[in-house]
Amino acid sequence: MAEQDVVFRVTRYRPVPGGRPTFQDYRLPFRNDMVVLDGLNYIKDHLDPTLTFRWSCRMGICGSCGANINGQPSLTCETFIRDVSRGVVTVEPLSNFPILKDLVVDFDDFLNKLASVKPYIVRKDWGDWTKEYTQYPEDLEAYRQQSLCINCMLCYAACPVVGTSPEFIGPAASALALRYIRDSRDEGADARLARLNTKNGVWECTFVGECSVVCPKDVDPAAAIQTLKVLATMRHLRRLLMPASR
Amino acid sequence: MARHEYPWKRRPGWWLRNPRYLAFQLREAGGVVCALYGLLLLNLLMQLREGESTYVAFLTMLRTPPVLYLNGVLFGLVLWHAISWFMLIGKAQPVQLTRKPLPWKAVFGINVVLWLGVSGAVVYLIFGGI
Amino acid sequence: MEGSDIAEEVRPARESIAWSPGRETVHADSESPPEVLLEPLFWGLFSVGGFITAFLFPVTLFLLFFAGPFGLWPTDPGAYDAFVARWQEPLVRLFFFVLIGGSLFHGTHRLKFMLVDAGLKGRGVEAFLDLGLNGIAIFGSLGALYYALRGWLF
Repeated sequence: MAEQDVVFRVTRYRPVPGGRPTFQDYRLPFRNDMVVLDGLNYIKDHLDPTLTFRWSCRMGICGSCGANINGQPSLTCETFIRDVSRGVVTVEPLSNFPILKDLVVDFDDFLNKLASVKPYIVRKDWGDWTKEYTQYPEDLEAYRQQSLCINCMLCYAACPVVGTSPEFIGPAASALALRYIRDSRDEGADARLARLNTKNGVWECTFVGECSVVCPKDVDPAAAIQTLKVLATMRHLRRLLMPASR
Repeated sequence: MARHEYPWKRRPGWWLRNPRYLAFQLREAGGVVCALYGLLLLNLLMQLREGESTYVAFLTMLRTPPVLYLNGVLFGLVLWHAISWFMLIGKAQPVQLTRKPLPWKAVFGINVVLWLGVSGAVVYLIFGGI
Repeated sequence: MEGSDIAEEVRPARESIAWSPGRETVHADSESPPEVLLEPLFWGLFSVGGFITAFLFPVTLFLLFFAGPFGLWPTDPGAYDAFVARWQEPLVRLFFFVLIGGSLFHGTHRLKFMLVDAGLKGRGVEAFLDLGLNGIAIFGSLGALYYALRGWLF
């Protein structure tokens, strides 16, 4: 295959007092079958071993390698250089997250948000290990789409609301909440909707829809949040109008 | 004990970065324009109450060229708001009427057909026909 | 040595949520923030208003403001005589009440989110926006109801 050159313009940031992010250009050869992650690894192996970035499975399932490629949140392992290159490919860390170093971002808040929606089966009879919880294929289909999330955080990088309101629970956590609410084995919908019916819950979403556009797994978190808004409103009305049923 | 993270700050003009963000902002603006028209219609009803001369004066003012063209631009935003609303219903389908969600373009098409029907009903029931 | 001051600084600033032996706390059990009271109701009105404006506004605004001046319709539905004649019908009065109420609740909700997104954040500011904008919607709707009923029921 013919070898061509491409320039990667990569964000560099050293975590020292007063440090600021800058760009560094690297010229590297590429073949048409290379992805951006291959380019970053080439840089680290041959040009600059100090370049720091996250990656793992290199096949779009672990969710580690998210970055802004030419301004668009993408997985570096799934983005072919030939598709994004016009001579220069700009690689920046994911938007809306604080930068730890180079392309590595701090996502502790994201993990806290995931945990806050109780992402596990909640049942009153939990602990009765003699029971078997059967589920039919139709039951699985009801929540399968939301269960495909790989926690890559591209949706948080794409969401303009997360950009100004870091406390917003966000698309992935909401989709995860819906995954468990729709699971036929689960009985914890009320607790999750209570968490979502808060100031920084689903109500901050303005349905921009970019989260669903960038999602590499077609989880469609935007649709999930609108569904949650309806569920939360119905629960809220029930609680207001029929307090005895709480 | 600092980690010297570089904090994130969203840039102004973020919505110019991609066409979907721009479409979103125009849709939001269209929504706000709907409220402006709501106030305008309320004012129209108030002028109607006052009598023929005030009503005609108000309506004439709205139809004189500079105001008319501004009206046209605002009407364009209202139309975009309506079109994008039909698209959003397709993309979200928050109230599931079918077993599996339909493709959004199908729901969009259904909404457009409904809109034509409703508009026809408005022409005949509210404005007394052609 | 240059590397060591960086190594000094990169230490966790707060408790890591990673599992470690002996760590019992599960963050999922931590206190949930308080629930909101009115936001779901205003969102519901915003949604209904969205349907109302999307389906009813285009044809109404066209007939009232553009059909006449551009000669796109055989009659001028916005003209005084035509409109006054239609205004006698209770259905027309109800229609305009619903249209004004729906568009106000829809548009003020959107305006609030646009302003908050543009930077008007903070509890006091947002409470003020909530009160002011929803107040406009409520008073506007009541005004529309008054004008719809005036001359018909009283």
